[in-house]
Amino acid sequence: MALDKWQEWVLLLIIIGVIALVGNQIGFDVPLLEALPGMAILGLISLAGLILAKVIPVKFPSVAYIGLIGILLTMPASPFADSIVAYTSKVQFLALATPVLAYAGIAIGKSWADFRALGWRAILVSLLVLIGTYLGSAVIAEIVLRIQGII
Amino acid sequence: MEQKKGSSVRVNWKLHVVVLLLVIITEAIGIHKISVGPGIILLLPMLYAMILGLVLYFTRVVGEGEATAAEPIIILSITYLIAKIGVLIGPNLPKIIAAGPALILQEFGNLGTILLALPVALLLGFGRETIGMTHSVGREPNVGLIVDVYGFNSPEGRGVLAVYVVGTLLGAIFMGLFAGFMATILPLHPLSFAMATGIGSGSMMTAASGSLAAVFPEMADDILAFAGASNLLTTATGLYMSIFIGLPMATWLYRVLGPRLQGARFQPESRREER
Repeated sequence: MALDKWQEWVLLLIIIGVIALVGNQIGFDVPLLEALPGMAILGLISLAGLILAKVIPVKFPSVAYIGLIGILLTMPASPFADSIVAYTSKVQFLALATPVLAYAGIAIGKSWADFRALGWRAILVSLLVLIGTYLGSAVIAEIVLRIQGII
Repeated sequence: MEQKKGSSVRVNWKLHVVVLLLVIITEAIGIHKISVGPGIILLLPMLYAMILGLVLYFTRVVGEGEATAAEPIIILSITYLIAKIGVLIGPNLPKIIAAGPALILQEFGNLGTILLALPVALLLGFGRETIGMTHSVGREPNVGLIVDVYGFNSPEGRGVLAVYVVGTLLGAIFMGLFAGFMATILPLHPLSFAMATGIGSGSMMTAASGSLAAVFPEMADDILAFAGASNLLTTATGLYMSIFIGLPMATWLYRVLGPRLQGARFQPESRREER
């Protein structure tokens, strides 16, 4: 693994983490320093997942490793569960989402020409595609959860 | 903060400063609710941030260079969200395992796409593009599959690319507005909708589950945990769902409904492995 890559990840994760901490303070009134340990934990989980995906030769996406590490660290059997949950609860999900979509907004500008070339019919069908899977999944989940007696 | 080490690690500082400013502005605006009849549409900072980011692309503030630099950073910033979802799933793991059957079966919900969108595409006059457009939600693995089967320049390929482009550009914003609204007007449980937000796109799941969590704050952690688990499952199974169920079913329905809805204008589908 190239060392450059590793350094770049660390640097970018720090930058993104700081941006999210600022958003977390402005949007959710959590003081920056109070949320810092939780953000650092999330950043380290991310870094570990990125590195695992790179060094383990099996083709498995880094996000799957990251999700798995997060689950393992906080599942009921984990000795760190309580402290990790307590620290990371200071970092709001929505505060993490805002920078993601800010970067995405800037990046999708490049797709604008392709988008404009599409007609309204293609846009309508595409939105129905999203509505269809969302409502289809929700209805199936509802039926199964009711049969199971969970809801 | 760390300074540039050597010349090999280059950071587009302008991009990050712009994103920081976008975050400051949009979080300061905060969450707003609009009541539409019995439902609620939530306006979230992340949605303003995406729209403002897109608007900035057309100004001199950011350009092609920043847009290109932003692409890989989307994935890196999503890792924080996945880590957060992981630590939300962990404590809820027994609950999620208990709901395993629902979680697995709702993966078949993307067949709803075929039932809803395929007839409409035919009625709007689409030909073989219909199969590419409606066999799945049209994210990266699905584009790969259609291009593999029919070729890049086939009508099917153009169809799936159209849905991909619309999903990239409008998907997160649309799902962010629509997901919470539907949950407030339909009599289904928020957890059912939470599972439904895992449609195999990180940004759409984020926007959709984020708006659900904001509509039902008392269930926020459960909603995000179920949404995240569902999205991880879709990421793992989505391609196989398309190969074994979505594409065969879309092709079959196209053949059955096409001649009825389009009459003499109907074009039979492309033969596979041909262009």
